[in-house]
Amino acid sequence: MSTPAIRIQHLTKDFRLGLRGIKLRAVDDLSFEVADNQVFGLLGPNGSGKSTTMKVILGLLEPTQGECEIFGLRSDSVQARRLVGYLPESPYFYRFLSGRELVAYYAGICGVPKVGRAKRVAEVLDLVGLSAAADRRVGTYSKGMLQRVGLAQAVVHDPRLVILDEPTAGVDPIGAIAITELILELKRRGKTVLLCSHLLAQVEDVCDHLVILNQGKLVAEGAVSELLRREGVSNLAVENFTPAMRAEVEAVLARHGARLRQAEPARVALDDLFLEKIGPGDGKKKGAP
Amino acid sequence: MMAAFGQVWQIARLTFLEAVRQRFFNFLLLLSLALIGSAYFFRQFDFGPQELRFSADFGLGGIMFFGSILAVVATAQLFFGEIENRTALTMLAKPVRRWSFIAGKLLGVSLLIFVFVGLLTAVLGAYLWWRQGEYISAWHTAKLAGEQPTEFPGEMRVQFAGLAVNALLQWLKFSVLAAITMLVASFSNTNLYTVVVSFFIFLICQLQYIAHDAWAGIQSPLLAGLAWLLGKLFPNFQLFAVGELLVFPTAIPVPAGAVATAMGYGILYLVGFTALAVGSFRSREI
Repeated sequence: MSTPAIRIQHLTKDFRLGLRGIKLRAVDDLSFEVADNQVFGLLGPNGSGKSTTMKVILGLLEPTQGECEIFGLRSDSVQARRLVGYLPESPYFYRFLSGRELVAYYAGICGVPKVGRAKRVAEVLDLVGLSAAADRRVGTYSKGMLQRVGLAQAVVHDPRLVILDEPTAGVDPIGAIAITELILELKRRGKTVLLCSHLLAQVEDVCDHLVILNQGKLVAEGAVSELLRREGVSNLAVENFTPAMRAEVEAVLARHGARLRQAEPARVALDDLFLEKIGPGDGKKKGAP
Repeated sequence: MMAAFGQVWQIARLTFLEAVRQRFFNFLLLLSLALIGSAYFFRQFDFGPQELRFSADFGLGGIMFFGSILAVVATAQLFFGEIENRTALTMLAKPVRRWSFIAGKLLGVSLLIFVFVGLLTAVLGAYLWWRQGEYISAWHTAKLAGEQPTEFPGEMRVQFAGLAVNALLQWLKFSVLAAITMLVASFSNTNLYTVVVSFFIFLICQLQYIAHDAWAGIQSPLLAGLAWLLGKLFPNFQLFAVGELLVFPTAIPVPAGAVATAMGYGILYLVGFTALAVGSFRSREI
């Protein structure tokens, strides 16, 4: 069995508040594993301990108790962080740099060799659809473009694990779909993605596995397909379903001891309707706001 | 290890580029240049060659005053800019050691101070060179006209090499002040607190010689020991004033090793405060 991308064991994190040092437990005895080459969702309401867990994984916070490993390495080691790319929520970058300079800067920080660095930067900018805007100052970027340049800096050193904190926050539906496609592309390239998002539909679409936290504790864990399965209930999609046909179907089902629970006109998803009316837009793909 | 030093340089470079774009730096630079430029009005007072000394003192005072403001405020701003904008989060999630981050930030501020002190010293030097040239040429003109002008006083001749050495010492002193500010910033939560506390420490360092005189009379060994410890904890910034004695010849020559001693003293405190800032920042939760 291969080494898990992330292994968290009995993680507890307390914060001391105020002069009296009142203890606030942000994460309480949390244990889970993220297998390699998965898209893994980390869900929970505000204050559930998601950000704290993510910061421990990134080595930015020291656990009060427990352990966190990334591909078998302690998460607070520099070696572990070489394997990780991170996109923070609502990222803010140095506004005076161009997108290309910014990504090149982080590439240098991550140790991408000088020879071939420019090529690698161009590749990731192309991957996130920012090639056309690469030489514009980051200060002029829209929110969606900031997210995409954030993604570019997160993957420029070709990490094995990519951690995305609310990657589609404040991004329009077209931008959100582009980012979703990027996440799936990262998975196709063999990366593990840890996704923290409040957009549950997005998590459902892209994640293989998820955990749900509440008040610092794990309340659900498993494969998305397993967690969302409703035992003993199946959906059928039928075209030209008339009332007469419905009566016949109900009769057949009754003969087999089953029952038609719901029959209603099919609906298109709002995302699909939006896309149909607006179109994916070439300019968006090429780095327009 | 080489990679870590490479990161330090890259962080320093970006810090410097960010700092020179700040309005605060440009405003302070313009204000300081205007102050040095205003020495031109000393001509109104007919000081004679003494004017050079007045102008030099005025300019060096300006560099000291504005340089200390720059060292404290720029360090605090650049540090808290990273924390508040959460760029530090992005940076420290990368394979960057915390000491590289602090050292890079400090080196960037130090480069900024170098440019500030260097530029102002160059402008002051150019002004003194021009005024000195005018006095010397007036003396030659008078001599050619058959007058018996008094010799241009040797003690009024500007020693430009001394001016450069003074700039180097001031840069080192401000770098130590920046390291002190970084240490305060590493554990404090706000920019304002950092600036206020750092200026307070700057005053202690600047006025240490007064405290030394007061402590000399302490009888109690315990208090004397405590005073000695405090005296070692805060650097004595007056030691860097040796550079100002090099700008004009003095009756008693400055000891040969005085500059080297001041430099060594500065480097020691710079390394010490940087190490303390790194140690404190290591345990900071981002």
